[in-house]
Amino acid sequence: MTGALSSLSAMRWAAIGVAVVIAAIFPLVYTDPYYMTIIVTAEIVLILNISWNFILGMAGVWNFGQLAIYALGAYGSGWLMLHQTWLPLWLAILAGGVCSAIVSVLLAFPTLRLFGIYTSLLTFSFAQVVQYVAVNDPRGLTGGSFGYPTVPPLFSTLDQEAYLRNYYWTCGAVALAACFAVAWLRQSHLGISLRSLRDAPAYAAARGVNPRVTRVVAFGLSGFLAGIAGALYLSFEQSFTTSQMGLTPMSIDVTMLVIGGLGTVTGPLVGTAVVTAIQTVLIDYPGWQLTILGAVLLVIVVFIPGGVIGLLARWNSRISAWVAEDTG
Amino acid sequence: MTDLVAIIANGIVYGSIYGLVAIGMTLIYGTMRILDMSQGSMVMIGSYVGWWALAVHGVNPVLALLLAFVVAFIFGTATELVSVQPLLGRRNDVDFEMVTFITTFAVAILLTNVALQHYGPFQKNVPPIVHGNLELYNGVSITYHELTMAGLSVALMGALGLFLARTRWGFAIRAVAQDLDAARTLGVPVTRLYPVTMGLASALAGVGGVFLGALYFASPTAGDLPLLLALIVVVLGGLGSLSGTLYAAYLVGLMQAFCEVKIGTTWTLPILYGAILLILVVRPYGLRGTPSETRL
Repeated sequence: MTGALSSLSAMRWAAIGVAVVIAAIFPLVYTDPYYMTIIVTAEIVLILNISWNFILGMAGVWNFGQLAIYALGAYGSGWLMLHQTWLPLWLAILAGGVCSAIVSVLLAFPTLRLFGIYTSLLTFSFAQVVQYVAVNDPRGLTGGSFGYPTVPPLFSTLDQEAYLRNYYWTCGAVALAACFAVAWLRQSHLGISLRSLRDAPAYAAARGVNPRVTRVVAFGLSGFLAGIAGALYLSFEQSFTTSQMGLTPMSIDVTMLVIGGLGTVTGPLVGTAVVTAIQTVLIDYPGWQLTILGAVLLVIVVFIPGGVIGLLARWNSRISAWVAEDTG
Repeated sequence: MTDLVAIIANGIVYGSIYGLVAIGMTLIYGTMRILDMSQGSMVMIGSYVGWWALAVHGVNPVLALLLAFVVAFIFGTATELVSVQPLLGRRNDVDFEMVTFITTFAVAILLTNVALQHYGPFQKNVPPIVHGNLELYNGVSITYHELTMAGLSVALMGALGLFLARTRWGFAIRAVAQDLDAARTLGVPVTRLYPVTMGLASALAGVGGVFLGALYFASPTAGDLPLLLALIVVVLGGLGSLSGTLYAAYLVGLMQAFCEVKIGTTWTLPILYGAILLILVVRPYGLRGTPSETRL
């Protein structure tokens, strides 16, 4: 363990440890199925957002095809769950991640020559093609807009309470592992290469960072995580419709990332929590959800460019500067 | 032969309207380096104006088109003031293209959902501007509405070209497109020019919306498909290249007409996007795009 993880102080580690323990005990105390379902769904979205934040915020590659990658993870693992029943379900979920990683790497190649906005348009086009093919799928592999056929769930022998709790732990563990992986990767050779390529592509390349290899690896890692998220979603919700990769979920996910702070490790966590809370509060006014989210997105981008995490970091540094002034 | 006439006639009609919607995006990108995701909403607003004026109040079609132009101009200007103007001072601190992409996208989400709240999800019928149709060849016909749409689109694009080539504001827009800082130094009022440019582009999309509303419907998501097609067109043509946009618009129109006649409507968009994927791999800046900063 190097870099970000070792640079955390003992205090921080203790705080993280306490938070994790509280989060782990939480479902034993709280069992309301309605809110537990929302929380588990949010955990899955969090995994997706971590993967997207890695490629969009940290690597600075304008990948707007992440939801298609996510969907392909769901379809890939779903096919295995339905048609290769000898396979353990957790392996099918993992295979969904592998399937997405492969597609994501393939998607990386045509983007290698592109910059900025063109990358976003190409990946967005890719997502549109995937969505159209899935909707109009002639052989019924995806279930079209009616949704994927019901797959066998994990923990099918448990009662509803324990079932939700186990999903909560599983998805939470994956999200936690993803968070740590990204924090570690951020300070690793790969992460530094990615960030330098994002901030100064020509200089980074001149200093010996290979833009192609780095970008392809970043796509692969991010795709793997997105695929796992998709497979978990299919497994938990027991369905996957093509609207899951439409414009509405995409705008919600982008809002989450921007609110939290693009390119930060904890940004997706904060963003997902805040937006899910807003959505849950406004659940009785479905029409207003997106209106308000759109307004929030606009305000955050215009007035708080770094997102919530960036704002906190600025306050933090201002306070420590103030303290240092006082003591020194 | 029948198929060929149908493909060419429909291709030119589609191409003209896509050109009209996409040329605004090109103008905005060429001048301000903003990929304006709210252009689709301007089409949506245009179709609602068309529905309100033509179906509800039975206004003269010319007046309805003018009204759509004005309303979309106002919305476009407002969009710029809300989503771009506050960021201008921070051009160097933030990734301007990315941030404005997100803010205009946010405006699009907002407008779509406000329309959804206000008008409900149901589609509204927009009557055609001109009734009747013209028999072209052996059962292939084209409505006068489509003919007007194509003619007026071409006329508006020509007017835009004249505006850019002959007027003071046109000079200013082209100067900003070539070199923002130099134009500023020489006294081009960028903070006033940006809203006007975006308003102008939106107004063209709004007029397109009245026509498209009669072809499809007016609904909160009426702008999605035109936006996707306009994106295809501008990327194919090379972002910021006006001539490239025109070529690409007709190319896309013809391709769409071909797909509809020969393959089937459902596969049109995947095929178009597939074409984009291929073209971008071979030509990373589109057909007529230039990697340098010389555009428009």
